[in-house]
Amino acid sequence: MSADLGVWAYAITRDDGGTDVSSLTGVADAGVRAARAAGLTVLVSDVDLAEFGEVALRRNLEDLAWLETVARAHHSVIDAASRLFPLLPTRLATVYSSDESMAAALGPRREELLAALRRVGGRVEWGVKAYAAAEAEPDDRVPAQAADAGDAAGGRGAGLAYLKRRRAQLSSRADAWQSALAAARAVHAHLASHAVLTRLHPPQSPQLSGSQRPMMLNAAYLLDANDGTGFAARVAAAADTHPELELDLTGPWPPYSFTADDGQDGR
Amino acid sequence: MTLARDIVPADLPAQRVALVDLLDRVLAGGVVVTGEITLSVADVDLVTISLRALLASVSALATPAAEGTT
Amino acid sequence: MTQPVRYRLDGDDDPRSAERGLASLVLTIVELLRQLMERQAIRRVEDGTVTDEQAERLGCALMQLDERMSELVEKFGLEREDLNIDLGPLGPLLGD
Repeated sequence: MSADLGVWAYAITRDDGGTDVSSLTGVADAGVRAARAAGLTVLVSDVDLAEFGEVALRRNLEDLAWLETVARAHHSVIDAASRLFPLLPTRLATVYSSDESMAAALGPRREELLAALRRVGGRVEWGVKAYAAAEAEPDDRVPAQAADAGDAAGGRGAGLAYLKRRRAQLSSRADAWQSALAAARAVHAHLASHAVLTRLHPPQSPQLSGSQRPMMLNAAYLLDANDGTGFAARVAAAADTHPELELDLTGPWPPYSFTADDGQDGR
Repeated sequence: MTLARDIVPADLPAQRVALVDLLDRVLAGGVVVTGEITLSVADVDLVTISLRALLASVSALATPAAEGTT
Repeated sequence: MTQPVRYRLDGDDDPRSAERGLASLVLTIVELLRQLMERQAIRRVEDGTVTDEQAERLGCALMQLDERMSELVEKFGLEREDLNIDLGPLGPLLGD
């Protein structure tokens, strides 16, 4: 008995009729084909619903190993294709029951998608994350045995002294935070002025980012494809100007963050 | 994909940074085009217990005057 | 670098890892409460709504709690930083 198949989507592009994606390999080692839908072209793979159907997806998406494998395969198709023509990545785990249902879903969105394609044509995304740099006094722990001058008689006043020390530490941390936040805003404003569009993402939690340092900025910038070197130089200069931040630049990416109409105008 | 960094937080292995950035984009980015019989899952939490939710729920439990108690 | 703790206990074969995951979850809650109580105490001392004796007892209790947290964390082979709590700026609590 043949498997029930679904249609896994990678990206949307214009229907130019000449899209050759036969050399690409996608999720679950499936081949990639260009499907015509609603006057657009969608890069897709045919996938087994036993692994990629709704129930299976909800289970598999919580398996980090599975998710990593599929996410990398998904991205590799998008990345390779984005070097050939402008495209809009579709969100991971967009699965249709058939080409026909995919066309029905895309039909109403056709003009909006064409506009988005024009917006990203010849452009790439760069990401900048800013972390608050490690403070001068990293050790937040107050030693319990610290004895101030007035604590002689059996540690009298030690409790009050502890509270005063903690208040001072928290206060200086607050100042450092404010300083890093102001710096992050300044850096974003500066970088945004050199971008076509920008998108601010929520800062990542330490569990997600893997960093002990708080994330002060998580932004995406849409740039003309040949602006990358200049942009990287600006980020490096911004890092020099703001030692209270650690900056992390990644890219170029396909325009994941710029498929919808709500990016902020840079210029 | 090129990584152009000036200062990198010393505690981030390169592999983990790449995966986090990737998942951030493929899970929360990209266009969402859903129809009646499509399946699309968005905003999957990688940490199944969110500390923010935890903080919101325990902050109501924190009592101010914990005198002499642990 | 220590791996950020994943709080999923199923699908992990190592019982010690599960125990460690549970311990760090519990300690995370305790640490949250400790930090919240500490900030409340600092605020009340600032506001002058506690007597000197009360402030002294509060401070001693919190100091001991802090020390106890370090012991517990070490007992489970963790670092304080693993608990990864950051309540952010103190400003609002002090009425800045």
